[in-house]
Amino acid sequence: VALLVASDIDALCACKILQALFHCDQVQYTLVPVKGWQDLGTAFLEHKEQFKYFVLINCGANVDLLEMLQPDDDAVFFICDTHGFFLQLLSSHLQIKLLIKQDDDLGVPSYDDIFRDEEEEGDDSGNESDEGTEPSGKRRRYDEGAVERRIERQRAKREWEARRREILFDYEQYEYHGTSAAMMFFELAWVLTKDTKDMLWWAVIGLTDQSVHDKITHMKYITDIATMQRHVSRHNHRNEDEENSLSIDCMRISFEYDLRLTLYQHWSLYESICNSCYTSCNFKLWTLNGQKKLQEFLADMGLPLKQVKQKFNSMDMSIKENLRDVIEESSNKYGMKDIRIQTFGVHFGFKNRFLASDMVHSTAALLESTEKDESDGDNFIKALDSLSRSNLDRLNSGIDLAKKKLMAIQQTVASCICTNLILSQGPFLYCYLMEGTPDVKVFSKPVALTLLCKYLLKAFVHSTRNKRCKLLPLIMAAPKDVEKGTVIIVGIPPESETSDKKNFFGRAFEKAAESTSSRTLHDHFDSSIIELKMEDRSKFLDALITLLS
Amino acid sequence: MDPSEVEFLAEKETVKIIPNFSLDKIYLIGGDLGPFNPGLPVEVPVWLALNLKQRQKCRIVPPEWMDVEKLEEMRDLERREDTFTPAPCPYYMELTKLLLNYASDNIPKADEIRTLVKDIWDTRIAKLRLSADSFISQMEAHAKLDNLTLMEINTIRSFLLDSLNCMFKLRSNLQPGSSKAQFTDY
Repeated sequence: VALLVASDIDALCACKILQALFHCDQVQYTLVPVKGWQDLGTAFLEHKEQFKYFVLINCGANVDLLEMLQPDDDAVFFICDTHGFFLQLLSSHLQIKLLIKQDDDLGVPSYDDIFRDEEEEGDDSGNESDEGTEPSGKRRRYDEGAVERRIERQRAKREWEARRREILFDYEQYEYHGTSAAMMFFELAWVLTKDTKDMLWWAVIGLTDQSVHDKITHMKYITDIATMQRHVSRHNHRNEDEENSLSIDCMRISFEYDLRLTLYQHWSLYESICNSCYTSCNFKLWTLNGQKKLQEFLADMGLPLKQVKQKFNSMDMSIKENLRDVIEESSNKYGMKDIRIQTFGVHFGFKNRFLASDMVHSTAALLESTEKDESDGDNFIKALDSLSRSNLDRLNSGIDLAKKKLMAIQQTVASCICTNLILSQGPFLYCYLMEGTPDVKVFSKPVALTLLCKYLLKAFVHSTRNKRCKLLPLIMAAPKDVEKGTVIIVGIPPESETSDKKNFFGRAFEKAAESTSSRTLHDHFDSSIIELKMEDRSKFLDALITLLS
Repeated sequence: MDPSEVEFLAEKETVKIIPNFSLDKIYLIGGDLGPFNPGLPVEVPVWLALNLKQRQKCRIVPPEWMDVEKLEEMRDLERREDTFTPAPCPYYMELTKLLLNYASDNIPKADEIRTLVKDIWDTRIAKLRLSADSFISQMEAHAKLDNLTLMEINTIRSFLLDSLNCMFKLRSNLQPGSSKAQFTDY
């Protein structure tokens, strides 16, 4: 079996669950991390001879895989992808098996709308050829009825084709995410009754990744959390009892209604408030006024500055006890109504307490770390290792990297807003990170750049007074490879309360690239992230403006 | 002998498990292992129990001696007596370590059991050290110790044998003449 896994946290978690299941049943497998379509193609070619079964996690469902890879007839693909899936795949159901949840609201059009039976086509052409080969003598008996029927059929067919094109266009122009892959694999494990707390924790991390990186709507997050909560209580009840209490080393997952401050338990409270997107945008911490407001906020809660700037674990117990409630009360006064969010925490041994979002940030930082001499494959393996319980020092180094990354994001956001780097280009906002910006290397990776993009948009929406600008989407460009002269471009949908997180930039980028024949690379699985040559930047943007207005 | 060898021998002990799969009787060189039916307890050797547990195919039932009250009694008895009392099980140390590492979620009050077993082990090793010390200092010719487990013997074996060898060499050098004693250096 060959496992081809995309490079995002959800895929990593799903991969770990699958690895554990394989371990139980002693199935041999080969793990191949892939970053984009090219990687997928090369990996497939390499392993085509040896393997018959391929499992693709978070990649491959939104293009015509058979066309692209041209596998042998007996290769079987199992695809589990949170991106929407390409409808043509439905017709080749023998070779490709998709794993999706049945009640997922994907808006998939019905089969009949898209595919017409082959026989009807044959009939049509058969009739036409019949009519055509009739000798000229019979033309006098040319039945008007037959012609009418033929015209009618052709018209119906054209209508059907037009409607099909429209449906496909509607379906394909938006890109969005479905249920987390990790959760689906956990459900699979549950059905096999091989689920363990480790697997449950990985599924929770996969779900939290989708929420942290803003890939799913809030409603969906809440429903998924409820599902996970059922599993968590099932696991907890199985083991805990008044008399037979569990060893302290066993892993305990608990449901927390915790604060939305990233990494606050591994950092000082002050730093965490400064560097979390939600609080920093609401306070507008890049302005002097914002800093003052923050001081007021802390004073309002009665937290001395000295305490708050200390590492969280060394804060006074009396402060820590009521921290969540105190913060919630005060933040309501300052207009931050949603400072608490439902999530899960894990707890094992005497020292180790982690929230799901902590692990997401740490693993993301490890996956995309830009230290020298680290290839992408290595980073993938390191990030994968950090997810298992026994590699705590990896996890802690990941948390340090995540702190640096968050601080870099915060500073970049502050500088972009203060120096007005965000320009309104008509139908969208645009921002370009110059090469000399500090920490710009961190943003040459897609996930980090997307996170920066989202923070920037939120901050911009909070800071601008222009009503129209608040509803615009944002496109961000950052230099990717200085030698080759490429930039990486990310587009995100506009910020709104009821956004359904559908992203139409994928199609838009493709069309703009075609029309200006710019040298682009649509390599990433998320089609809203592309690479572009620096010189083509301006004409590409112009094409986009004309396209979207 | 290496402690890992002692652990290997300990894995032959049987323990009760409750499998969640079904399999007919299997015939191995070491003996037969009864038919496995989901939900019904069956006795298997520890090596198999641990392997099945790691593949999540069974649940391990803690052995009878691994109980907080019984271990507390044994520990108190051990502290009162001067000689060795019968150990909970001939391989109690290894079994505790293996079962508590891999199957602690099936064993109630695992932390307390770990502490109690460690207490018993410490008391017994202290007694062993005392008796070895008196053996060497009083230069006895032979000694008899009951109720020692293989792990404890193994712990003291290399030290005791080496020290007795040294004593023997020292003693044998004393006899032929005191001049030679100067040239032996230990």
